[in-house]
Amino acid sequence: MISRDIDTLYDQFIADFETKSVLMADEPDNVREFRRHSFEHFRLLGFPSVKNEEWRYTHIAPFLREVYSTSSEKPGSLDQSFLSSLQIRSLDGIRILLFNGKYLPEFSELPPDSGIHVSALTGAYQERLVSDYLGKIADASKNHFVALNSALFEDGLFIRVQDGRRIERPLHVIHVFSSESNMFVQPRHLFVVGKASEVSLVESFLNFKNEAEIFINDVSEIEVGSDARVQHYTIHGGCENARYIHHTEVRQAERSVYNNYKASFPGPAFLRNNLNVSLNGENIESHLYGLYLAGGRQVVDNHTIVDHLKPNCQSNELYKGVIKDEASGIFNGKIYVRKDAQKTNAFQKNNNLMLGKKAIVDSKPQLEIFADDVKCSHGSTVGQFNEEALFYLKSRGIGEERAKALLIHAFAYDVLEKMPLASVKSHINKLIDEGLKT
Amino acid sequence: MSNTNEILERLTTESYEYGFVTDIEMDIAPKGLNEEIVRFISHEKNEPDWLLQWRLKGLHHFQKSEMPHWQNFRMPEIDFQSISYYAAPAKKTKLNSLDDVDPELLATFEKLGIPINEQKALTGVAVDVVFDSVSVKTTFREKLQELGIIFCSFSEAVREYPGLVKKYLGSVVPYTDNVFAALNAAVASDGSFAYIPKGVRCPMELSTYFRINAQNTGQFERTLIIADEGSYVSYLEGCTAPMRDENQLHAAVVELIALGNAEIKYSTVQNWYPGDKEGKGGIYNFVTKRGICKGTNSKISWTQVETGSAITWKYPSVILRGDNSTGEFYSVALTKNRQIADTGTKMYHIGRNTRSRIISKGISAGHGSNSYRGLVQVGAGAENARNFTQCDSLLIGDECGAHTFPYIEAKNNSAIVEHEATTSKIGEDQIFYLKQRGIDTEKAVALIVNGYAKEVLNQLPMEFAVEAQKLLAISLEGSVG
Repeated sequence: MISRDIDTLYDQFIADFETKSVLMADEPDNVREFRRHSFEHFRLLGFPSVKNEEWRYTHIAPFLREVYSTSSEKPGSLDQSFLSSLQIRSLDGIRILLFNGKYLPEFSELPPDSGIHVSALTGAYQERLVSDYLGKIADASKNHFVALNSALFEDGLFIRVQDGRRIERPLHVIHVFSSESNMFVQPRHLFVVGKASEVSLVESFLNFKNEAEIFINDVSEIEVGSDARVQHYTIHGGCENARYIHHTEVRQAERSVYNNYKASFPGPAFLRNNLNVSLNGENIESHLYGLYLAGGRQVVDNHTIVDHLKPNCQSNELYKGVIKDEASGIFNGKIYVRKDAQKTNAFQKNNNLMLGKKAIVDSKPQLEIFADDVKCSHGSTVGQFNEEALFYLKSRGIGEERAKALLIHAFAYDVLEKMPLASVKSHINKLIDEGLKT
Repeated sequence: MSNTNEILERLTTESYEYGFVTDIEMDIAPKGLNEEIVRFISHEKNEPDWLLQWRLKGLHHFQKSEMPHWQNFRMPEIDFQSISYYAAPAKKTKLNSLDDVDPELLATFEKLGIPINEQKALTGVAVDVVFDSVSVKTTFREKLQELGIIFCSFSEAVREYPGLVKKYLGSVVPYTDNVFAALNAAVASDGSFAYIPKGVRCPMELSTYFRINAQNTGQFERTLIIADEGSYVSYLEGCTAPMRDENQLHAAVVELIALGNAEIKYSTVQNWYPGDKEGKGGIYNFVTKRGICKGTNSKISWTQVETGSAITWKYPSVILRGDNSTGEFYSVALTKNRQIADTGTKMYHIGRNTRSRIISKGISAGHGSNSYRGLVQVGAGAENARNFTQCDSLLIGDECGAHTFPYIEAKNNSAIVEHEATTSKIGEDQIFYLKQRGIDTEKAVALIVNGYAKEVLNQLPMEFAVEAQKLLAISLEGSVG
């Protein structure tokens, strides 16, 4: 593998924008303006170094040194058995398939319900909602990778749930990444959930083992209307040759509920999850749950921001990490309670089970409070198996391996029990078992 | 409510108790920071050449350094050229008895309630008194000397015990550590020095009292405490300054060294002038404090009660190098009016079986802003490291802010690290309960805050615990409305 300076990649993107802006000439003015604007931010920001507080524990440079092609490959033929292998057992979801960030309607199930609209983002530019929300939720001015994505995203999903609709079957969005040569791909998604509607969204991320490195820098913007309820799951698995920067930005209106469940497993060499939720109305509830099992030399980094802007809201966050081998588990959770956000209840917890001799855990919970009538707390722990619990199990004739696996499942249970979908829960339990074996 | 408002009105306009100025003849060096002034200070103190060279290195490092920008407040512009770096009471004869001390100075400390006179002194507390840039008097020196304990001003230590000073000065906080440590190395004027010999348990509390008096000066003291094998010492510092409209800089460095089985307990009651209620004036308290547990089974414990200063910015830290060593940090920080505190600790676990404990209590009132910033680092070789951290914030009034920035870095899988933090408003039901019993709001708040801070105040030596409790109550007055 050729190693090179990350400046080369930066230069490549700068040049890319020149060539792409010719190709993108037929895009609407507002989109082109948005790209140009975001590109200026990226040009100034460049790539972050560990001197940047947000990247203090995450050394991204080694993952950016590869030679990447910035145009993605098209899928070959996808057979039925392959497609069914991507399903989550007994989920009965509406399948929406994306290959290298591009929506493939021919391999997806068309939504049976008229209350829901699914299309490629680039095909929906004429929609008013797209121009209303695209780039309005995720701020490109401060985040290096959001800026880069906003300038150069290729395509992605646009999903809209109509006001007052309750979508019975969960949407199962499957993101498959595959390439014969190194690829840097930038999908962009927009989800607009209408007022008083209800939807479950399950996203699986997968790739296949080969020589080619794939860098995925995706950004999702989610607008949750007033009184709406959203259950959002993301499951990152796959193989070593994938690197992810997965950015999700959520904006909630009054009385809405947004629950996010994240699970990631050994595989991708690098995974950075950014999850930012802004509680932009009164009486909102947000729950963020995360489970990360890291193995090998994996770097798994979860960054969350919960921003309380208005009074009488509640947020709850629980992230649990199991760090094996030589893996690194990084957590940073920020809670902001703004001056107006009186009567806020905000809680946050990060627990780490450190198993590998050479494992690394860096945890940085953070509270920033500007209102006084609040109840906020955070906690963070790093520890090992409870010796007594282990002894108890062993004394009952359960072997060490099995006993440890049991304890890890028990550790994960606090997160899993929050998930309403039983099928996803058992799928994750299965992935835990597989992850422990590797 | 109107009654409470009256109290509020009265108390917020009431002045800082220690805000007077002593009119005393002073030698003040011209303003400005340059090689000349560093040479002047060194010459004035008759320092050996190695120390001068070290100071100059500090100065050069300072000149190269940039101001940090990561802190959680807007860094005030400090014009380092408009500060005078040396100010001393004019009388320079060696002081052997109290009769030699300028009576004006004596009266000052009497007014502050600091016992310089040994007869009147609290028994069991030896005091080193630092007035602006120099140490004016160290009490109980002879008595301590009988046990082999050295307790004197830093300048005297340089003259009389150059070996010890040379060996340990800058070994825990090198001049390259941060910009203020570099500045301190260059212009450190005086401070306290203590050495506790092997196996000696220091029978009394050692204490330093710092007083800024002169105008347009900064205070840059340097404190060095060495506890030799198996010794124990408890050390206290207190400080006040006059009320002035301009901000004054206090950039001290404290280094603690605990050898095998030694224990150092360091307590601070910080009450520098906090500025007026509009945030005008006050001390910038930018201090670097760090201790090293060098030997096995050693222990360093920091306790601080921070009620003063316009900005308090410090992280008393412990390097846990020795196996089985222990580090502790207990803190109460109160900010009101426009005060800012960005404080916390760092615990570096390096040795095996090291333990640390952090208890931090922040109280924000008025427009005050209080940040806890802490680092717990467990190195790859630090088997069985154990940390417990608790930091709570109490909010009084809706204009204040409380922030928590803990950093946990574990590189050893036998580490057990726990951190918890809470933020909440002072309990209405608790105030109601106390009012029901005929205790007014003001007293109720003081009572609740004292209860809240008890865990930390209990760590202070008794006389100071009482003092600190009073200080908290006084500082809180007027913040309830």
